[in-house]
Amino acid sequence: MTTDIDARVIHLIAQLVPVKEKDIKPEQRLRDDLGMDSVSSMELLSMLAEDFELDVGIEDVADVHTVAATIELVKVFLAKKAA
Amino acid sequence: MQALTTDTDGGVVDALLEQTARFCAREVDARAIDAAAQIPSAVLEGLGALGLFGVTLPEAHGGAGLSLADACRVVEVLARFDRSVAVSVGLHLGLGTRGLVRYGTPAQHARWLPALASGACVAAFSTTEPGAGSDLSALRTTATEDGERLRVSGEKSYVTNGAFAGLFTVAVSTPGLGGAQRGQSLLLVEPTDAGFAVQREEHKLGLKGSSTTGLLFDDATLPRDRLLGEPGQGARMLQHILSWGRTLMSAGCCGGAAFAIDKALAHTAQRTQFGRPLAALDVVQERLARLRARHFAMEALVMATAAQADDDALATHSLAAKVFCSEGAGFVADEALQLHGALGFIEDTGLALVVRDVRVTRIFEGANDVLLTHLGQSELLRLATKPVDAGAPALDRALADFARALHDTHRLRIFRAPRLLHALGAATQWVMASRAATARAHHTMQPTHLALAQLVEQEARSAVSRAAAVTADAAVFQQALGLERLGVTP
Repeated sequence: MTTDIDARVIHLIAQLVPVKEKDIKPEQRLRDDLGMDSVSSMELLSMLAEDFELDVGIEDVADVHTVAATIELVKVFLAKKAA
Repeated sequence: MQALTTDTDGGVVDALLEQTARFCAREVDARAIDAAAQIPSAVLEGLGALGLFGVTLPEAHGGAGLSLADACRVVEVLARFDRSVAVSVGLHLGLGTRGLVRYGTPAQHARWLPALASGACVAAFSTTEPGAGSDLSALRTTATEDGERLRVSGEKSYVTNGAFAGLFTVAVSTPGLGGAQRGQSLLLVEPTDAGFAVQREEHKLGLKGSSTTGLLFDDATLPRDRLLGEPGQGARMLQHILSWGRTLMSAGCCGGAAFAIDKALAHTAQRTQFGRPLAALDVVQERLARLRARHFAMEALVMATAAQADDDALATHSLAAKVFCSEGAGFVADEALQLHGALGFIEDTGLALVVRDVRVTRIFEGANDVLLTHLGQSELLRLATKPVDAGAPALDRALADFARALHDTHRLRIFRAPRLLHALGAATQWVMASRAATARAHHTMQPTHLALAQLVEQEARSAVSRAAAVTADAAVFQQALGLERLGVTP
């Protein structure tokens, strides 16, 4: 089920990658499927941290390689913030 | 000065380099090329006959199939004699043909590579546009599908080899092509293509013998088979192509610096002041030693870069090499001129020409300030995945401490703080150069090399300390500039 968070994350990803927003799927890999490199991935995560006001460090995003993992990261840190 | 060395195909490459040096000493007149703002066709034909245009092209299509490292050695030798020649050939071997070699189809290879290998056809490459310099995501030249053809409109600028190239690899925006909303693609363009025109020759500060033009696509039509590689995946291909280009350009910087140092060493050994040769004065000795150390590190970093097989590692190393070697060439050329006194200011000495020629290397193929920011980003990521342990060399630990402090303070926001990333990149290039210089010295174990590496490490330590003094507070700069008066919002 797609949530508002999913949609917001995908909308932000679409700002940075050469893929239409409607074509971005959770299972896609940021690098191999969406054409991001390591630096643009970090820019994305930095944008997400700012947009969702999350205190995320580089060590937290080392294993974030897919759209689904990006969405999950945002959800985990939002839950931490709310706790 | 000693030349770049590699381990592969040593005999073949050494022989080629000797032939190249002999040819250049006989046929290449840098001052005449500068004055005429053109490389004589006999020189280009002679370089073609030597096989230099095919150095990195596949043997199956008439090339020599040599490595990036070997091509660096060729460009380095050419740059000792003339930077315009080195840039023209280096551009052909790197940016001009690398995309076709790596991503081209068999049909594309068969069509263009033989002529490119012989030098009958020279290659050019274009990304830069009047409104998009180092920002590849802002390309406005656009190709759209029209049945089996592509329609291209837009304008390109500062295209090396533009006036005489027979094939252009051009980066364009291709929205929707290959399913990519904002994708870029690479196109192979010939001068005779309908709607395509090469613009006038630019008048430049240096590298006057090289050709630099604009390109105009006025609703140009190209067959669809001119697409190079996967449509919409231009950014990924460009990373590899640009890495090759930057590495070869760095080798050219080494050649220019070697020429300047040779001149400075010869002049200071022969010129007598206060009853002694200049080179007998300790203050001159230190300056000469620092020039040699910088050049030693430049060469070491180029060879370390060219040896990277992995695309990501090559990209990061080429960023560092491009910045370090272009800044180094400028520093060395300027210092060598200074050591000549008033004589250095006279064109006959040849140093004024080197100063003018190497200046642009800090700008083209990615402005150094932009590349340092990218290098800072890469270093943060590297340290996040491969932390430096307590047993690492002090220089590596100092750099890691600086990066860690930046991250701990700013967290992921650091990736949107260009000035801090720039400072980290500036420190990183020095540490990478020092690492390469130390490895080179430990490989040869020559006392001179060990001393040169020691000097490089000293300078790298200073560079890290300077960079680590940077603060996030930009208020003093904004106040000093009076941004409000300029109508700029911080």
